[in-house]
Amino acid sequence: MQNIVIGGSAGSFQTVTAILSSIPRNYPHAIFLCLHRLKNVRGGFVEALSLKSNVPICEPYDKDSVMPGIAYLAPANYHMYVDANNQFSLSTEEPINHSRPSIDVTFCSIAKTFKSNAIGILLSGANKDGAVGLKAIKDAGGTVIVQHPDECQVKTMTTAAIKITEVDHIMFTNNIIDYLKNLK
Amino acid sequence: MFEDPDILTFIRTLRDYAGYDFSNYSEKSFLRRAEKIMMDYKLDIHGLISKVKSDRLFLEKVVKDITVNTTELFRDPQVWHAIKYRILPRLASKREINIWHAGCSTGLEVYSMIILLNEMGMLHRCHIYATDLNTDVLNTAKAGVYSYRSISEFLENFNKVLCENPYNFDEHLVVTHEKYFDINKVKDTFKIKPEFLDKAVFKKHDLVTEPNPFDVAYDIILCRNVLIYFNTILQNKLFIDFWNYLDPFGSLVLGIHESIIGPPSAKYEKKGLIYNKKVF
Ligand SMILES: C[S@@+](CC[C@H](N)C(=O)[O-])C[C@H]1O[C@@H](n2cnc3c(N)ncnc32)[C@H](O)[C@@H]1O
Repeated sequence: MQNIVIGGSAGSFQTVTAILSSIPRNYPHAIFLCLHRLKNVRGGFVEALSLKSNVPICEPYDKDSVMPGIAYLAPANYHMYVDANNQFSLSTEEPINHSRPSIDVTFCSIAKTFKSNAIGILLSGANKDGAVGLKAIKDAGGTVIVQHPDECQVKTMTTAAIKITEVDHIMFTNNIIDYLKNLK
Repeated sequence: MFEDPDILTFIRTLRDYAGYDFSNYSEKSFLRRAEKIMMDYKLDIHGLISKVKSDRLFLEKVVKDITVNTTELFRDPQVWHAIKYRILPRLASKREINIWHAGCSTGLEVYSMIILLNEMGMLHRCHIYATDLNTDVLNTAKAGVYSYRSISEFLENFNKVLCENPYNFDEHLVVTHEKYFDINKVKDTFKIKPEFLDKAVFKKHDLVTEPNPFDVAYDIILCRNVLIYFNTILQNKLFIDFWNYLDPFGSLVLGIHESIIGPPSAKYEKKGLIYNKKVF
């Protein structure tokens, strides 16, 4: 089983829904979503993502176990970690890069826990969150993909990542989808 | 479970020198705190260990830095609605009600409860207990003084909980902020009014190593966003402890993303967001 972690902020919602509606049902891998949301918009996000998704979307409870075929969304106002025993762990530590959930936090923990079985994907966004985390995944032996800055509504996040990491792929949404569909 | 030998030594030192036990804290968030502490004090793990050994005040500071103290006024309004409409009505006929906020941080949850109870006319019958490991946050809680800027975003939830009824959209009450707070935007202060300050007993208490801090059985225990920092072993121990400390008809209120999944779940009946003590 591979562990795919997707980080996104401003301008990433459509790409995320495109991915979730294109991957096959009964997907054999686990998906983790760490997406910035507007402050105070705490509800409704799971529902919005679920509308077209082929896999169930779930905001995990603390210490839930990771299962394949589910897309886990970092809950509003919590950082989301995955511990070595494949359990989620949540925290309300101060925001990092002005963000809670922070993409760096989730990416770094996925890197440590899943090492070469981690795939990090960073999408459109307006701050630098995620760059350090993506590097951590790469350094731990995982695969890292960045959405093509030309396709990003806001390219701050993706260019920040490309600057500090030699990423494996810079891809448009369609290619990301093909990549995930064919993932063994 | 922690594996890194240096981290294990650090944790053992805190236990041997001061009786704190972090060995069953959640691995990743604990490590992140430890890394932040080393960065802030410009120490590596060995420097950190020797400094906590030689300097007791520093050790206490480090323990405080390990704890995560974020809290809000009326955090997660749906939980407060559950308390208001599901728990408190069941206690309406009780002469004395005991409420414990375990891991109360700077007290915003405690004052939320005091305000809610006052609005429901139940405050005079309630004993409110609040504990935390970190004495700095307890001092803030006792003083009831906050920065307005840090609180203002929570006032929307104050209105939601106190003025709206999710079961009856026609109901709309008016509760002013001035009734409970002295607000000075220029000085950036937000103070709890004096008449509500002495309603709770605040006390230092370690959930991991100490028994029930007060000699009472509780009708409500709130332990929200504290257990997320513990691993499953420690969480399960506390769910049993809380069960023992609850009154036969008592309720346990957890954070909105916390749940009882292990064996202790048999001892509780889950009703929406609330866990009620099951008595066999
Ligand atoms: C994130 S705050 C939660 C505050 C509040 N209950 C809320 O949900 O808004 C967690 C609190 O748990 C406290 N804590 C951590 N370990 C503890 C322990 N072993 N015993 C008592 N309190 C502890 C911390 O000091 C911190 O203030």
